[in-house]
This record gives sequence, structure tokens and C-alpha cells, in this order.
Amino acid sequence: MIIALLWMLAIGLVATLVYVAGRLVYDAWGAVRQRRYDKSVGQLAPPWRDTKVLAIIAQLVFAIVVGVIFWYLWGNFRDRTDAIGLNLSFDFLDQPAGITIADNPLTPADTVGEAITAGFFNTIRIIIVGIPMAVVLGTIVGVARLSNNWLLRKLATGYVEFFRNIPPLVVIVFIWSGVYLTAFPRAADSWQPLNWFVFNNAKFAFPSIEGLDNFAAFRWVILLAVIAAISVVYWRTQVFIRTGAAHHRVLWGLGTLLGIGVIGYFALGGPVKFSLPTVDEAGRVYEGGIRMQMPYAALVTALVLYTATHISEIVRGSIQAVHKGQVEASEALALSGFQRYRFVILPQAMRIAFPPLINQFLNFSKNSSLALLIGFGEITSIISNLAGQSQPAPQLILILMLLYLVISLVLSAIGNLINRRLQIVGR
Amino acid sequence: MTRKVTITGWQRAAGVVAILALAASACSGDDDSTATDSTTAPDSTTAPEGTTADTVEVTQGGGVLAAVQSRDVVNCGGNNGLAGFGSVDAATGEAAGFDIDFCRALAAAVLGDATKVDIKPLEAAERFPTLQSGEIDVLIRNTTWTASRDGGEQATFLHTNFYDGQGFMVAADSGIASLEDMANATICVQTGTTTLTNLNAVFADQGIPFTPLEFASNDELNPAFQAGQCEVWTSDASQLASFAAGMDLETTILPNIISKEPLGPAVADGDSQWAQIVDWTTMATIQAWEWGITSENVDTFLTSEDSSILTFLGQPVKDADGNEAVKDLGLGLDADAFYRVIKQVGNYEEIFERNLTPIGLTLAGSPNDLWTNGGLMYNPPFR
Repeated sequence: MIIALLWMLAIGLVATLVYVAGRLVYDAWGAVRQRRYDKSVGQLAPPWRDTKVLAIIAQLVFAIVVGVIFWYLWGNFRDRTDAIGLNLSFDFLDQPAGITIADNPLTPADTVGEAITAGFFNTIRIIIVGIPMAVVLGTIVGVARLSNNWLLRKLATGYVEFFRNIPPLVVIVFIWSGVYLTAFPRAADSWQPLNWFVFNNAKFAFPSIEGLDNFAAFRWVILLAVIAAISVVYWRTQVFIRTGAAHHRVLWGLGTLLGIGVIGYFALGGPVKFSLPTVDEAGRVYEGGIRMQMPYAALVTALVLYTATHISEIVRGSIQAVHKGQVEASEALALSGFQRYRFVILPQAMRIAFPPLINQFLNFSKNSSLALLIGFGEITSIISNLAGQSQPAPQLILILMLLYLVISLVLSAIGNLINRRLQIVGR
Repeated sequence: MTRKVTITGWQRAAGVVAILALAASACSGDDDSTATDSTTAPDSTTAPEGTTADTVEVTQGGGVLAAVQSRDVVNCGGNNGLAGFGSVDAATGEAAGFDIDFCRALAAAVLGDATKVDIKPLEAAERFPTLQSGEIDVLIRNTTWTASRDGGEQATFLHTNFYDGQGFMVAADSGIASLEDMANATICVQTGTTTLTNLNAVFADQGIPFTPLEFASNDELNPAFQAGQCEVWTSDASQLASFAAGMDLETTILPNIISKEPLGPAVADGDSQWAQIVDWTTMATIQAWEWGITSENVDTFLTSEDSSILTFLGQPVKDADGNEAVKDLGLGLDADAFYRVIKQVGNYEEIFERNLTPIGLTLAGSPNDLWTNGGLMYNPPFR
């Protein structure tokens, strides 16, 4: 997978280079034609006073300067690596990595490539869970900072000012050691409220759904139910727009989902069961439920708390940027506080907030690399571990950078897509 | 008719990507040549003349010894978080420890002054890249000598200064007494170490499942162990003793030793003169111990009857015809380099007792004892 990724990136870069060179040639050709035309009408300026010519020369000079700088750096790098005989091939990806990751089926005999992939998915796991939580918390806090309730407003301000002004690394170590490590009991004295959960300072376990026979078929049924529910919601919305009759689309949607789900459950002879986690006396062997490592929980908590403060500032600023007349108009319509935010202010504020929010998503994904310190096996810690196991560091760091680049590009692409939707809806 | 030339955001982005592409295309192109180089490398007789000449020039012209002498300080990669081996002395604020003393010995040998060292504290995973980059002249940071590090990390390991083995530490009340008792336990280990690969290999071979928890730094591992997140801490036995000494928690270090961990100095490949200097400086402390020369009594040996000792200390030796001459060992060091090492830093026993006895390690009867006492400390003769 990683080699394919490297190749895709290399091809993409070469294609872009070709495109840029093409643009430059095209522009130069345009300038030549322009000058021919100018000459034919007798208005030919000397080349050093022709902005088109100057622009092309400036671009060329810039490209050459940058190229030379990179060529020099590359040569310097090669001189050093040759002098000490560093191997720059990517063959090491097929060597056994000799490492294991907590709660991951990776064995010491698995290859370096597989270890990197496992670390990459651990990073994805942080991002997918953390970003939505940060957005929800950030929005709530951002609204709370503008609340008319004095206590709520001050609490929100205090929280934002506290976490926003501490480096994320310190927040992570604080949450990890100050909260999770010391507040939760040792594994042997696990805290098991209601016998539904297991909490200790190494792992948390929660109830989950466990698949039995026909589970694969049941998943298809659920997918079908979700599609049906979305269609029903869409249909109710259309009815509402056409006739103005009460839509009750949430009720209709949930009803459809539950209806199909329950029918499917009984038709397939009970394909799932509710699974409660249990742990043995020593706090080591877990049965049932779904487990989460403490460092993961600490990292996600810390990053969400940290990023949410930045998001809340963006949300607050965006709300304040909505024209005052909009608020007054909604008050004149006697909308409730919730309705005012839900239907008038937030839709307009989100349009303003979204571009800077994308930046915060990128920051979140990059800050996840700090998990290295508290012992969660995400991509940076796996790469640094491998580099310490006699695997070549330059190639590993290159791969690490490319993987973060991929994450960032995908996040921005998704963000830009949503942003474009928001802009069109708002006109 | 005019047309405006505007640079849009898209074009600007494309420009940035183009620069990256330039680097990447150069990268892929040169990778091929590296591959061919490495395949022809074993057949050294047919290796291109140019590359061989280049390498020789680098070693002779850009020698580390000359660089150290002109800089007048030895850059030494060390540890600052391992009491006994390498840490910051709370009283003086200076780096102190067993490994640090070997850096000082090197400075005494090369520059004549044991204080002319610059200790760069390194985490385990960053030590080899730092050595490869030339940022440090020598790495003396409780680093295990292994084949893959000698080969894959472009490092040259030199005479072992501490024979260690991987052990396990548990809280005294944990009830863990053997490897089998650790089934499914959370075992903490530092990333980028041989300890981690040993742990995985041994537990996989014996079929014992466990939950690994890997920390980049012992600074975070230590509180995690004391809070009980880690039921077991595995590392070199000497390190465990060092950390146990600084803990309020009652701990037990199990008798099981699962690996050989010879710790020693390492230098970057490609400069054999510098490697020899580091090697013989390390061994000089052992040789002095064998002869009973200490920093206290070294001056009394300057008039020794033993010609080997005189050569070692850089004193003139009478030959059969009665002519006196100082024998040059040809290492590129001053004649009295080893005298300065012993005078300023001390012999191996003194270094050990100064740094490691306080954290509870004993020298007598351990693998680090002299070969004449049944230990492993043995070195070739200084002739």
C-alpha cells in the first residue's frame, strides 16, 4: 500500500510539473503573439518595458532559483549519505518489523509496511472520533460565550482561556498523567459501575453489540434501513415544501429505521446480542464489550478540549459577524432562543466559520502525533520506533511526511466540498 | 489589446507542488543508482575507481580527529535521564554518569582536558540519526551492540564498557515471579530499543500473550509504572536498578535475564582512525585497572620498571643499547594521552564505583569484573 502511495505521489508531482511547464510555454507563446500583433499595429514596446515579457522572465527566474536551491540541497544530502554508505532503497518495507502494538493483531514477524499501515489506521481512529467531538463541543462553547446567562458565559470564557493558552503537548501530558493515570484505579482494582463498564488506568471497556449467525446479512439490512429512512425523510420534506403540512420527518425516519431493523432482526433469527464487558481478577483478560486503551482516551480528550477552544472562538466570531438585523428580525418573529440559533443565526454563521474550521481540522490531525509521548501506537510513534530498530530513518520520515500530507489533503478536500455546498445553499 | 497576467491561487499551489516534484523526481532517479551501487559493492575489485577514491578522501581529509581538535571540544551523544549512566547532577548542574565519564576520558585523551566535552542528550530513537548526521562525534549512551546496528545504522561499535542483560521490574506486591505470571499483563518498554524487539521475540517464542505499552521517553514511562498502568517494566537490568533507586514504590527486579546487552561507545562508519582512538581510550581505563593504576597513584608509575606501563603512560623506554625513546603507538594521540585519561578521569573501577555503586550495582563477581577475576573485561595489550 505504501509503495503504491509513493508511486501515486511521484506520478502526481511529475504530472503537475509537466502542467506548470506547459502553462509557462503557453504564456510565453501568448506573449510572442501579442508582440507580433503590437508590431503589426506599430505599437511595439521594448521587451524590458513589456509587462507580459517581464512576468514570464520573473516566473522563469523564480523556477530556476528554487530548482537550483533544491538541487544543491539534494546533492548535499547525497554526498553525506554516500560518505557514510546509507542505503536509500525502500526494500526494508518487506523486512520483519519485530514490533507489536497494543490491541492490534500485529505480530513481531509482520513486515515494516504492515506495521506502518497499522499505525496509520490508529491515527485515522483518533481523527475520525476526535474532530466531530471537537466541532460539537466548540459550537456549544462558542454559543455559550454569547449567552445572556452570566455564569454560563464566564464558565465558557474561563475554559476557553485556560486551554487555548497552553501548548497542546502540555495539555496532553496533563490530561494523561494528572487525570487518567491517577484518577482511575489500577487494573487489579478495576471500577465496574453497574457491571456495564470497566474502568482502570490501563483500559476502558464499554458494552457493545456482538454479531452472531447471519450477522453479515443483518448489516446489509441495516444499510437498507438507513437508505430507506433517508429517502422517507427526503419525501416528507418535499411534502412539507409542496403542501405545508406538518412533516414530522424525524419521527417518520426513525420509525422506518426501527421498523425495518426490528423486522430484519426477527427474520434473521436474532443475529446480534448485547454484550457486556467483564474482566478477570487480575484486570488482564477482558471478555465481551468493546475496549479502548487509556492513552487513546487521554489523547482524544486532550485534543478535543484543546481544539474545541479554537473552534469556539471561530464560532463566536462568526456568530457576531451575522448582521444584527437578522437577530432583531428573528426576535420580531417571536422565535425562541433555540429556533433563532437553529434556523437563522447558525446557518449563516457556519458559512463564515467553515474555511477557518478546516484549518483547525488539519491542526487536530497533526497534533495527534503528540501521542508518541503517552504511549499510543499512532503513526509517528510507530515510525520513530522503527527508526530505532535499525530501519532507515530518512525513508521512514519521508513516508511519515507523505502520510500526513495525504491526511491533510483528504481533510481539506472534504472541507472544501462541504464549504462549496454551504456557499451555494446560502447564495 | 492587452491581456493581464494574473497568478491565481491554483497556479501558486501548482508551483509549490512543482518544487516538490523536482525533489521527488531527483529522488527516484538516484534511488536506482544506489541500488546498482549496493549490488556491485561486494565485488570491490570492480567497483568504480571514482567512488573508492571519494570515500578515501572523505576519511583522510575530513577526519573526525582533525575536526575535534580544531573545534577543541568533543561532541558526545549521551543520556540525561538515567541516574548512574547519564544524568544531570543535581548539585553541580553538570552532566554526570558512567557513560559521561567515558566521554570525558575521550576528551582527556584527544584534547588533554576532560572538561572539554559537549554532552548532547538524546532519546533512544534519535541517537543513530544524530550519529549519522555528524552532529555528534561519538555515541556513548547505554547503547547495545548488535549486528543490525553495526550494519544497518552505519555505526561502528567499539569495546563494550558495560555487560548488561534485559530484566523485568514489577511492584513488590504484584505477585509476579516469572515470565508465565506476566500472561496478558501490560508490559512497558521504551520505543526504538533492542529491549522492545527482545521482549516481542521472547514472548512470541514462548507463546505468552501480553499488552505492550511503548513510551518514547522514560520520563513518561516512570510515572506510568508508579501509577500501576504498567504492571511490568522491562529494560536493561542496570537501568531498572537505576530507576528503582529513585522511586518511593517498593519494587522487585526478577532474576530472569532474557538477553545479552553489551553496551558500548559507537562512532559513525567511515573513519577508522577515530574509531581506534575511541576504542583504545575505552580500553585504557580497563588496562589501568588491570595494572592497579588509579588517578591517585598514577604518578608513582611514571618511574615504573615495567616497559609496557611506561609505554602506556607515554614515558621513554630504554632499549637494549641503553637509548631512551618514547614509543609512538601510531594512534594519532599524544604520547601521554592515556596518562591524562587516568589522571583526570580514573580507571574503569574508579569510574564504576563513582557512578554505579551508588545506584546499587556491584562490580565484584559481575560480568564487568576483570578477566583475571573471572569477569569479561579483557583488552588487547598496549604495545
